[in-house]
Amino acid sequence: MNFGNMNRETSRRRPAGTPGHPRNLRRTPKGSLPGNILMALTLLFFYLPILFMVVFSFNSSKSLTSFTGFSLRWYETMLKSHGMMESLYVTIIVAVVATVISTIAGTITAIGMSYSRKLIRRYITQVNDLPMMNPEIVTAIGLMLLFITFNVERGFMTLLLAHIAFCIPYVMLSITPRLRQLDPNLADAAMDLGATPWQTLTKVIVPQIWPAILSGALVAFTMSFDDFIISYFSTGGGVKNLSIMVYTMSKRVNPSINAISTLVVLFITLGVVLMNVVPWLREKYQKRHPKITEGEFRKRPRRWPWILLAALVVLASMFGLRKGLVSDRPYAGQTLHIYLPGEYVGENFISGFEELTGATVVADNFDSNEQMYIKVANGDSYDVLIPSDYMIERLIQEDRLQKLDKTKLETAMSLLVDDTLNLNYDPGNEYSVPYFWGSVGIVYDKTKVSEADLEKEGFSIFLDPRYKGDIYLYDSERDSFMMALKALGYSMNTKDESQINEAYNWLLECVRTMDPEIVTDEIIDNMAQGRKALGLIYSGDAAYVMAENDNMGYYLPKEGSNLWCDAMVIPKNARNVDLAMAFIDYTCQYEAAYDNSSYVGYTSPNREVMEELSETDFAGINAYLPRTGYDKDEVFEFDENVRRLIADQFSRVKIAASNAD
Amino acid sequence: MKRFRQLVIPYLAWSLVMLLLPMVLIAFYSFIKAGNSIVHFQLTLDNYLRFFTDRDFLIILWRSLAIALKTTGICLLLGYPIAYVISRSSEKVQQRLILAITLPMWINMLVRTYAWIGLLSAGGPVEWVLNLLHIPHGELLYTETAVLIGMVYNFLPFMILQIQTSLAKMDRSLLEAASDLGANGWQAFRKVTLPLSLPGVVSGITLVFLPAVSAFFIPKLLGGGQYFLIGNVIENQFITVGEWNFGSAISMIMAVLMMLLMMLVRRLDARGGRK
Repeated sequence: MNFGNMNRETSRRRPAGTPGHPRNLRRTPKGSLPGNILMALTLLFFYLPILFMVVFSFNSSKSLTSFTGFSLRWYETMLKSHGMMESLYVTIIVAVVATVISTIAGTITAIGMSYSRKLIRRYITQVNDLPMMNPEIVTAIGLMLLFITFNVERGFMTLLLAHIAFCIPYVMLSITPRLRQLDPNLADAAMDLGATPWQTLTKVIVPQIWPAILSGALVAFTMSFDDFIISYFSTGGGVKNLSIMVYTMSKRVNPSINAISTLVVLFITLGVVLMNVVPWLREKYQKRHPKITEGEFRKRPRRWPWILLAALVVLASMFGLRKGLVSDRPYAGQTLHIYLPGEYVGENFISGFEELTGATVVADNFDSNEQMYIKVANGDSYDVLIPSDYMIERLIQEDRLQKLDKTKLETAMSLLVDDTLNLNYDPGNEYSVPYFWGSVGIVYDKTKVSEADLEKEGFSIFLDPRYKGDIYLYDSERDSFMMALKALGYSMNTKDESQINEAYNWLLECVRTMDPEIVTDEIIDNMAQGRKALGLIYSGDAAYVMAENDNMGYYLPKEGSNLWCDAMVIPKNARNVDLAMAFIDYTCQYEAAYDNSSYVGYTSPNREVMEELSETDFAGINAYLPRTGYDKDEVFEFDENVRRLIADQFSRVKIAASNAD
Repeated sequence: MKRFRQLVIPYLAWSLVMLLLPMVLIAFYSFIKAGNSIVHFQLTLDNYLRFFTDRDFLIILWRSLAIALKTTGICLLLGYPIAYVISRSSEKVQQRLILAITLPMWINMLVRTYAWIGLLSAGGPVEWVLNLLHIPHGELLYTETAVLIGMVYNFLPFMILQIQTSLAKMDRSLLEAASDLGANGWQAFRKVTLPLSLPGVVSGITLVFLPAVSAFFIPKLLGGGQYFLIGNVIENQFITVGEWNFGSAISMIMAVLMMLLMMLVRRLDARGGRK
C-alpha cells in the first residue's frame, strides 16, 4: 500500500541531475506533443475523481451523477454528524501522536543500531521488514490476534499502538542510510573534546541527520493518515478513523462523505503547498542573506520542540473545547457507547439525546448480527446494543446481558405496541426493549414483475430464469436461509439438517444460475433508482424505497416470512448503565421514535408514532405496517448447531456466487 | 561508542511484542483446532487442508493473483511512458510533475476509491463519455473492470515514481556515447535506457503487485458484495464468520506466497543486473 512513500522521499532527495555534464542534449524538445498529451491525460486520470468529489459535495440533491444546484447542505450534515467529525479528530490526533512517538523512537533506535553488533543490526532490519514486506492485511490480523489473545480491549490506545508499530520501521528506513554516511569517528571526536553522551547525541549526531528525521516523520504522518486496513482490525469500541468511517458508510449514497473528503483534500493541499513554499521562501531569504546558511541546520532542532508544543496545545485545546461545552445537564461530560446496525437512526435522534442529557454518544455500526456478536464476545464494551431477536436470545443464553430495571421503564414500555412485547426470545422483556420491528419480504419493480407471478411463485421467484441478473439477495445468513426454507415449505426454525442442506442447495442453485448481486444497505438506494427488478429486503427499507419511487412494491409471500424485532439491550460489561437506561427511555418516547421511524422507514414500536406515520408519511405503503397474526410468519429462535451450520454454508454460498460467471 | 548501543534495547523488546509476536500468533492459530485456547490446544493441519482441497477457495486465490497481475501489467504499460516523459523534462517541470502525481496519494485512499463509485455508477460521467464515443458497454460499477480501474488508480503512482527515480538517476552522457557510436534513438533506448531503468521497474512491480493481491476494500467498494478476492475471504473469516484458525491459515498462505514471489523477483533482478 504505502511503499511508494519511502521511495518518494528518496526520489525527492535525489541529487539534482549530474552537474558538470552537458545535460539533456537528447531531451525531447519542450512541448513534444505526444508527451504533453500523455501527461495531460495522466493528470486528468488522477485529478478527475477528486474534482468530481469536490463538485458533488456542493450538490443540492442526493444524486451522485447529476448536479442539480449549489448548496452547502452536505457540509451541514457533516458538521452535525458526530461520527464524521469524530473520525476526523481521531485520524488527525492518531497521525500526529504516532508521528511524534515513532519519529523519536525510530531516531533513537536507528542511532543505537548504527553502533550495534551485526547480529542485532540484522535482527532489527529483518523484523522491520515484516510490516513493510508483508501484505498489510496480514500485519493487521497479527495485531488483532495479539490484542485479543492478551485481552487488551481494542479502542483508541490499540489503534495508536498499531500505528506506532508500523510507522517506526519507515522512520528508521529513512534515517539509517543517512547515519551510514556519517563519519564513525564523529561521536568519538565530540566526546574527546569533552561533550557528554547526551550532548554528542543532540548537538552532533541529530543535527547531522536532521533532514532524514524530518522526511521520516513525513512518511510516518502520511502512512498513519492514510491507513485503513491495520486500523480497521486494531480498533474497537466505536473509535473510527476517516478510512473506517468511509468504509462503513459507503453503502448508501451519502454526499456528506464527499463533503468531508473535500475538507481532507483542502487540508492536504494546503499542507503540501506550505511544505513546498516554505523551503522556497527560505531559499530566497538565504540568497539575500548568504551569511546564515551555515547556522540554519543548528538552529532548527531548537525551534522544532516549540512547533511541536504549539501543535499539542492546539490539539489539547480542541479537545478542551469539546469537553468545555458541558453544562449542568444530568449526564454532562459522560459518554454513551452504542452499537447498532448501519443507517438506523433519524437525523436528530442522537443530537437530541445529547442535548437532553449533555452526554456524548459514540455510535458504532455493524453490518450483521453475527459481526456484532464477534466484537461483543471478544470483550468490546458498549452500553447499549441493538441486535435482533435471535441474537438477543443467544446473548441471554450465554449470560452476556443484564436485566433491566423495569421500574424505571414502566411509562416507556406502556407506549409500545403489544405485538412487539413478550416475544419468545425474551418473555416478559426482562432484558430488551423494542427499537424497530418488521418483516422480510420481496421488493419488486411493478413495471417488470406482476403481482400474479409473485402470488404464484412466492420466494421461488428468485429461481425464475426470467429475472436472471435482475435480482438482489441480502447479505445475511439468517434471512437468506429463511427465504430458502420458506420457499421449500419448511419452518425457518427447523433443526433438521437435511432440510437445512436442501436450503443450502437451493441457495447454491440461486447464486449459480441467477447471477444475483449480494448486498446489504446498497439495496436501498439502488432499488429506489429502480436498478433491478427484485430483491429480498427488510420491510423498513422497502417502505423507504416505496416512498422514494412509486413503481416499487413490497410483497410478503404466502409461505410466510420472518417477523423480526430489533431491540435495545444492555450488556454485562456496560460502563454506564444509568445513561443506557436514560437512552432506552428516550428512544421509546414520541419525538425520538417519530424522528427515527419517519427518517429511516422502519416501523416504530411506539403505538402513536406507528399509527400516525402509517396514515401520513407512509400512507398506502404496505411495507410500513407489519403483517401480524399470520400463522406462517415466524420469529427466529436461536440454536447453536444450526447457527454454526448455516454460518459455514452461507460463507460458501457467497464464495460460490463470486465464482459463478 | 558502546554506550549508544544501549539505545536499541527498548526497541528490541517493543519489536518482539509488536512485530514478531503477531506473526507467531498467526502461525500458531493456523495450526490449532477451532475453539482451542492458547493454553490448551491440539495441533492440526485441517485449516490448510480445508483451503487446498476446496475448489472455490483456489479459484478465488487464482482470481486474486490474476487481477493483481493485470493491474501490474497495466500499471507498467501506462507507468513507463509516463515516467519516461517526466524524466525527459527539465528539472523544474520534473519536480512539479512529481508533486502533481504524489499529491493525490496523500489524500486518503478510501476517499479516492469512494470517488469512483459516483464516476462509474449508471448515468455517471464515465458512462456518458462511453456513450458519446459509441463504445458499447454494460454496467460499469460492481464489475471486475471497476475493481481493475480502482486498483490502477490507487497503485499507478507507485510504478511511475519508481521508474522515474531510476530514469532520473541515469547518467545522460551514456546516451551521448551511444549516439556517438552510431546508435539510433530506439537502439539507444533499448540497449541503454531500458536496462538501466530495470531496477525501478522491478521495485515498481513489487510495490504494485503486493498491495493488489491483498486488497480488500477496493473490491468491496467497486466490485460489490459478491466479488471476492482473497483479502475479502480473510476479512469475512475474521469479521463475520469468526473462524480465526481458518482465517489465520489463509493469511499464512498469502504471506508465504508473497514471500516466495518476492524472492523470485529479487533473484531475477539480481540476475538481470549482472548481465
